[in-house]
Amino acid sequence: MSEATLERGINALKEQIDAPVASFFSSCVSCGMCAEACLFYTETGDPKYTPIYKLEPLRRVWEQEYTLFGKVKKALGLHKPVTDEMLEEWQELLYDSCTMCARCSMICPVGNDIAYMIRKTREGMVASGNAPEGVKGASVRAVTIGSPMGVKLNALEAQIRHIEADSGLKIPVDVEGADYMALLSSMEIMNFPEYLEGLAKIFKQAGVSWTLCSTAFEATNSGIQIGSSDIARTLVQRVVDGAERLKVKYVISPECGHAYTAIRWEGPNLIGRPFPFRVVHILELLDELRAAGRIKTKDLETDTHTFHDPCSLVRKGGVIDEPRRLMDMVTSNFVDMKDRGKLAWCCGGGGGVSSNEDADELRIKAFKRKRDQIAETGADVLVTACANCRLVIEEGLEEYNIEMPIVGLSEMIADHLVVDDEPEEAEK
Amino acid sequence: MADKSTLGDSLRRHGVSRRGFLKFCTATASLMALPPTMVPAIAQALEKARRPSVIWLSFQECTGCTESLTRSHSPSVESLIFDHISLDYHHTLQAAAGDAAEAAREAAMHENKGKYILVVDGSIPLGDPGYSTIAGISNLQMLEETAKDAAAIIAVGTCAAFGGLPQANPNPTGAVSVADIITDKPIINVSGCPPIPTVITGVLAHFLTFGSIPELDQYNRPKVFYGQSIHDRCYRRPFYDKGLFAETFDDEGAKAGWCLYKLGCKGPMTYNACATTKWNQGTSWPVESGHGCLGCSEPRFWDAGGFYNALSVPISDNSQTVAFAGAAGLALGAAAAGINFKEKDAAQKAHETVTIDDLEKSS
Repeated sequence: MSEATLERGINALKEQIDAPVASFFSSCVSCGMCAEACLFYTETGDPKYTPIYKLEPLRRVWEQEYTLFGKVKKALGLHKPVTDEMLEEWQELLYDSCTMCARCSMICPVGNDIAYMIRKTREGMVASGNAPEGVKGASVRAVTIGSPMGVKLNALEAQIRHIEADSGLKIPVDVEGADYMALLSSMEIMNFPEYLEGLAKIFKQAGVSWTLCSTAFEATNSGIQIGSSDIARTLVQRVVDGAERLKVKYVISPECGHAYTAIRWEGPNLIGRPFPFRVVHILELLDELRAAGRIKTKDLETDTHTFHDPCSLVRKGGVIDEPRRLMDMVTSNFVDMKDRGKLAWCCGGGGGVSSNEDADELRIKAFKRKRDQIAETGADVLVTACANCRLVIEEGLEEYNIEMPIVGLSEMIADHLVVDDEPEEAEK
Repeated sequence: MADKSTLGDSLRRHGVSRRGFLKFCTATASLMALPPTMVPAIAQALEKARRPSVIWLSFQECTGCTESLTRSHSPSVESLIFDHISLDYHHTLQAAAGDAAEAAREAAMHENKGKYILVVDGSIPLGDPGYSTIAGISNLQMLEETAKDAAAIIAVGTCAAFGGLPQANPNPTGAVSVADIITDKPIINVSGCPPIPTVITGVLAHFLTFGSIPELDQYNRPKVFYGQSIHDRCYRRPFYDKGLFAETFDDEGAKAGWCLYKLGCKGPMTYNACATTKWNQGTSWPVESGHGCLGCSEPRFWDAGGFYNALSVPISDNSQTVAFAGAAGLALGAAAAGINFKEKDAAQKAHETVTIDDLEKSS
């Protein structure tokens, strides 16, 4: 039998409740500080977007199933059960108005990890069939075709041919024993091929031995976004199999927030064993190459540049100083936003929100926060390190009639790279 | 003698920079859990404060409290404040002895009548006064005499605060705490065996800054330092929450840093700042070096059952009812946890793998 039912949804929620969830719910003091931390609340002023309120279905299941008071209430028929209608109503709160950016978790005075619980509540939404159409479609394509945007291997191969012809660089595919295996996100393959070209240029100059993998080139994990560990596991397994087949030492997460979270932090837990390779984010690798003096840059930009911190990188990954050191390699006029680093505001499109059409209007409203923040810096150019943020910000600025170039950090490094005539031999 | 110069003058004379001074003020503010906006106010108050006269009396004690205070590495928060009060009498530290020392105490009391701070460490024998005397004066007499004109009394260490080791069963000297004798003066108990140096100086700093005693808990301990249990702030707490306990001091659990509850850790019932402030300039603290908390800042900690008995093991003077009630509570808790565990287990067993074919609702 394969269909989503309320029963399966409730069971999934029961399954997801663990000690941290129980202690988080018990320790919530209803102070409402998470509301002020959430751009969906600050930009709409609607109290239903208070992060902790988005967890009501999970909270109710916890209270009714795992607390004495809740059990007594249930026995007396005083409880409000979680119904299918309720979950339907919560779809907007759990998917349209939450990017799992974890700013609320960061700010919570009693240390409740709200984003962690949103992720868990989504398990119940998926199992009960209440996930939005957009992310469902993305998940189906990710599993069947290999990428949430439907990008197949031959599309990648076509892009590779273009890049190789344009730049004269070689893009290695399926090279066994390379040090690094680079992952891409569909958006980079289709919308920002300059990323891949940039990687090829930098790695050639720095003498990094790397490869793409024909069976696992896609890093975006729709399973994490829709909130299903089962689907997420399938997708992570694909990458692990690819990396093990090619016997690489490192897997590089691309400029994509949730891809990084999925492979770096959730991955080993999902497949239930440690990886035989290490995962690094492309910015971490570039910063290492910088520190080792293996990449150098020239002709610094003089326009004012600012940097948008992708949430998954800064709050979940701690990649905060690396991008700033790299920014200094490409511009002499860098200005940080006021809430930078771990307190960065989300672009509003992460965590599956941007692949969910129902959320478009709300997303544009919430984007006002980022728009104002960017405007405040007075910067001419915005740089970021997540293909999804980049696309969402481009759309947002367009909506508000603001013209501003948005660039990926890796490709900026590539643009300013000092290329020797005779590059060093690739390291073995 | 208490000199007339201000704390600011004194600090500068000792070569403490403005920056160093502000750093000290900031550390003090954070120690006292005050908002950062209070730092300038503290700096201003301390800058202008007259060096207060402090008389330190030691009774039935082991000198551990004084050791704790003086073993602070210089320059540090501890030594800064220690150097810049006027410590007019402390028979362990002062050069004078015998009559000269007692004369110094009397002069300080006379000159700073009603304004000096009295610090006491050690408990006072109420049995035969001959158990502990100084210059032929019994502890009881010296305390009553010196406390009379003190602005406030700080009972440093568990002996002065609660009776401590001297009071442990069967209490041969009839030891009592300062508060058992002096009832008409504000008393701040800075318990601990010994207390954390930073806590001693923090209390002094609070007094200097605000001219008042900090907010106290039911045992007259400053809430800012004794407001939270060791257990709540323990870095091993996640293991307790997961039910991972070391069973012996050399098992795999101990090596992996698991919770020491079963080895007698008294963290859950002990209120002190060890877990956050730590010892020896933030180097470590007992639990971090592999030993459970003894509960040294709590009343009667010597008699609260063996140091290596887990808290759930009833101590001898518990009535049977209490023991049974405790056991019943434990059993109930365990049963509730068991039921929840079963429910969750059942939920996990009922898990049907979500595939892309079952994302749609049943119709």
